[in-house]
Amino acid sequence: MAYLDIEHLHFQYSSKRMVLKDINLSINKGEWIAILGHNGSGKSTLAKLIVGLLSPKEGSIIIEGQKLSDETVYDIRKKIGIVFQNPDNQFVGVTVRDDIAFGMENLQIPATEMLEKIDFYAQKVGMEQFLDKEPSQLSGGQKQRIAIAGILAMQTDIIIFDEATSMLDPGSRAELMEYIKELHREGLTIIMITHDIEEALFADRMIILKSGEIYQDCEISVALRHPEWFEEAYLELPTAMRIYYDLRQDGETYQELEEYLWEFSLKK
Amino acid sequence: MKNIIIGQYIPGTGFLYKLDPRTKIIAVLILMVAVFLLKSITQLMIAFGIAIIILIIGKISIVRVARGLKPIFILLVFTFVFQIFFNKEGTVWVDETLTFSLVSLIVLVAWTIVWRLLTKLKKFKMMLFFLYIAGVYLILRYLTYGTIFSTFNFVVHEKGVEMSIFVVIRLLIIITLSTVLTLTTKPTDLTQGIEKLMRPLKYIGISSDDFALIISISLRYIPTILDEANKIMLAQASRGADIAEGKLKDKIKQIISLLVPMFIIAFKRSEDLADAMESRNFVPGRERTRIYDLHFGLLDLMVALMTIGLLTGSIMARVLWIG
Ligand SMILES: Nc1ncnc2c1ncn2[C@@H]1O[C@H](COP(=O)(O)OP(=O)(O)O)[C@@H](O)[C@H]1O
Ligand SMILES: [Mg+2]
Repeated sequence: MAYLDIEHLHFQYSSKRMVLKDINLSINKGEWIAILGHNGSGKSTLAKLIVGLLSPKEGSIIIEGQKLSDETVYDIRKKIGIVFQNPDNQFVGVTVRDDIAFGMENLQIPATEMLEKIDFYAQKVGMEQFLDKEPSQLSGGQKQRIAIAGILAMQTDIIIFDEATSMLDPGSRAELMEYIKELHREGLTIIMITHDIEEALFADRMIILKSGEIYQDCEISVALRHPEWFEEAYLELPTAMRIYYDLRQDGETYQELEEYLWEFSLKK
Repeated sequence: MKNIIIGQYIPGTGFLYKLDPRTKIIAVLILMVAVFLLKSITQLMIAFGIAIIILIIGKISIVRVARGLKPIFILLVFTFVFQIFFNKEGTVWVDETLTFSLVSLIVLVAWTIVWRLLTKLKKFKMMLFFLYIAGVYLILRYLTYGTIFSTFNFVVHEKGVEMSIFVVIRLLIIITLSTVLTLTTKPTDLTQGIEKLMRPLKYIGISSDDFALIISISLRYIPTILDEANKIMLAQASRGADIAEGKLKDKIKQIISLLVPMFIIAFKRSEDLADAMESRNFVPGRERTRIYDLHFGLLDLMVALMTIGLLTGSIMARVLWIG
């Protein structure tokens, strides 16, 4: 059995329209999966269902053999952390130290242990110099790293990133990706929600959501052979990939490629 | 409005930093009461001396505290002037006739301009202010030449001077005390101290734990919200709206157009925040541990005893009317 199993999951908010339809998904321990989908495809809804912030209409979510329910939700939350999109809307503490502590305080971890862990994990995300700083003195990327430290300190098995890089500048975005790679190397299971194909390429596996349904679930290498899938799912191909596919489609030679690139750079 | 820092906490190492926030909060409250019990300038001077000694032992820079007094400088001056002018008890100390004459008025205007220009230097502002006031007095007292428009009697009574010094010193001590509290206590410790002190409220159904969390989250979001208001105002200014200008009707319209987006953002924010807190294992009303275990130690006991001693002293002084 996989670490996380989602079976025949359906969900709707109060309105008639189903937001998620018959989702079936298993994720193994240590895996890095990307959930890719257009705006409004139901990615955030799925993430909130996994951590029990919403309850399924139908179907089940099973984590380490334990079915998510009102009784098990508090146990299951200890195993999953989630970093949300807006850095400002998830910073709970008055200072960095307080914010990293927040989750541990809720788990009733003794003070001395918390202080040790705060130092350790702040160091891990490169924020040890900032422990007494307040959120208004930090950049978006720094706040997201602190959110990660807070989750690491709770020692979860999985971290979900729900478009956690989308409000950051390119520099901080790349930096955050490096930290995520590091976490994956250390054995954490990563669920990376994004609408950015380039970002999804770092994962082992890609799940494409389209209007609330799983449209594709495959290895990254397989997805790369089917650029039409992305267009079908209303996702925008990055420029480099678009050129690559255009070229391949026309079966051009090296010479023609050179001409094409010249033309392209002149047009710009 | 950028980089607003909550409170005025400045890291340090003195004994005041090692105290339990509860001890400090209660001690400051008790000392304030003690100060209000004092009835004479001599007593207040002693209290002021004690406050300075506390600062010195606590290794707190007096310059820092003095700088903290700046915002209330106007209040101090106003209090002082008010007492001097309106208290008409005791023997008369000063009884002078001040004259508004052609010459004195012209010189007065010139003097005011010089003063305003000098304050542009940004240094010695307070000294310049006193210099200015002294100048005004001398001008009105001695430059009685030219057409005289009007005169008035500047009378200062003994009690007036006494009261004004009394009230100002009292205010100074009280503000120094509260500055010491905020200077040496982190906002988190302060809210935690308040929380612990409010523990008994749970018997009337208020969870002090949740209450403290609400306080600290509000503190945390004030700068963010101000920042946001700033951004919205800039965005609207770039579309031609300007809150600082226009008729009252336009102003009200613009304020509404500021408040509506702010409320929408705030609602979204509170929803996100609730999700973030819950996903980090927060359950309202459930027991949580804290990073800083408040610890009432020997030092706290000593400070508590000293505080009680000071309170007793001021009660004695009042009852026995010493000094
Ligand atoms: N709290 C809510 N109440 C009602 N509808 C919602 C709510 N949150 C999201 N939706 C709707 O559910 C759909 C999926 O939203 P979401 O999961 O946020 O998508 P994504 O994260 O992929 O952009 C959207 O059509 C959105 O309008
Ligand atoms: Mg989303």
